[in-house]
Amino acid sequence: MASSSSKALIALGTILLAHACYSAYEHSALHLAAGLPLDISIETVLSVVFICVGLVLGAEELKPISWRVWAGRAERESGGGGPFQGLEDRLGFVDIRVKRKDFADWVRDQGSDNKG
Amino acid sequence: MSLSSLLRQSNAEALSLSQQTAQYLRKHASTGISTIHIPFLSYPESTDVWLMYEKLLLSCLRTGDDKAAFNCLEKLIDRFGATNERVMGLRGLYQEAVAKDDAALERVLQEYDEVLAEDTVNTPVAKRRIALLRSLSRTTEAIDALTELLESSPTDIEAWTELSDLYLSQNLFPQAVFCLEEVLLVAPNAWNIHAQLGEVLYISAMNGNESSEGRSLAEAARRFCRSVELCDDYLRGYYGLKLTSDRMLSTNPNDTRSTGQVATVDNGELPVLPTAVVRRLNEQATFKLAEITRTSNSSCNVADINAAKDLLNRSTQRKQR
Repeated sequence: MASSSSKALIALGTILLAHACYSAYEHSALHLAAGLPLDISIETVLSVVFICVGLVLGAEELKPISWRVWAGRAERESGGGGPFQGLEDRLGFVDIRVKRKDFADWVRDQGSDNKG
Repeated sequence: MSLSSLLRQSNAEALSLSQQTAQYLRKHASTGISTIHIPFLSYPESTDVWLMYEKLLLSCLRTGDDKAAFNCLEKLIDRFGATNERVMGLRGLYQEAVAKDDAALERVLQEYDEVLAEDTVNTPVAKRRIALLRSLSRTTEAIDALTELLESSPTDIEAWTELSDLYLSQNLFPQAVFCLEEVLLVAPNAWNIHAQLGEVLYISAMNGNESSEGRSLAEAARRFCRSVELCDDYLRGYYGLKLTSDRMLSTNPNDTRSTGQVATVDNGELPVLPTAVVRRLNEQATFKLAEITRTSNSSCNVADINAAKDLLNRSTQRKQR
């Protein structure tokens, strides 16, 4: 998510770049032989720098490179457990009758809690 | 939410998911193989839809909403055909769930046998058969079937973990350890499997004979160390490390060997850890556990945090005495 300052920098850079391009075009139309004036060159370079800085500032938060940091985050995320949690859940071997019984017991507990 | 996290969700979550089923079925009533795909007008068929059906099927079976579960299953059969391996597995799951008594379960088991007689490498059905055998407390048969399955697909780590769990339920610790080591060959970075292996080694050390206890404990401590190395602030790993190092210190408190004199063993086995190292590991684990329990927020598992606090309290009491 780009912050407002980065958005402003990118907008400013784009306007400057467009202006520099237009200036260069006008200049070439009027003075065919002369080289590009210094102010247009500086404007072009500055505008590109603005756009680059704006893009970098507005980049998303970087993902962790090191495995342990990433794993620790995956472990702590809600309902997480990372990519290897499936090895402990083992969906292919699930004992559905036990799961059903657990659920039925849970519903009964909830019912008795509400009454009591 | 991935498919596997489905089994860890609470009963309330399962209920809310299964209550969405009717609505979902109505919304996607037209989805199916018969729909003619019109570019830009109809949505392309995505795998998400079918994964969702599978998810709903499981939730409905769990909450006992058999009718909705059957509707989901019918959708899947319509799309993939009754001979699709995965669908066959799900169909078996449905039949197991709605089976009234043991005789009905036996019939389901017989059906599995018939399917497997025709197609021996139908993995989903083979896994269902093993799960059903286990559920009927015929553990030995389940182990036999599972080893046979692993003969044909030795890289199926889900099956290896299940086999380890089966062996563990029979107190066959060396076999359970071997299975988990096989899993680690395929997934060497699985920090939870490292921790689980440490736990199995710890249990085997507690139940084994005196002579091998030290080696098992040292091996368990190494596994727990690896799991916390792979995963920052891994509560389970530090918990195991604390438990193991506590035990090592209490059984062997006056070991005079210093760090420099590690006994070298010829047969390639790693030596028993020196006491100084164990003590430092213990201190580190205690420190980390205290830190994790202090900084834990609501998203963490409350039961885990409480167990860690309990362990810390117990060890401080022992020190005071």
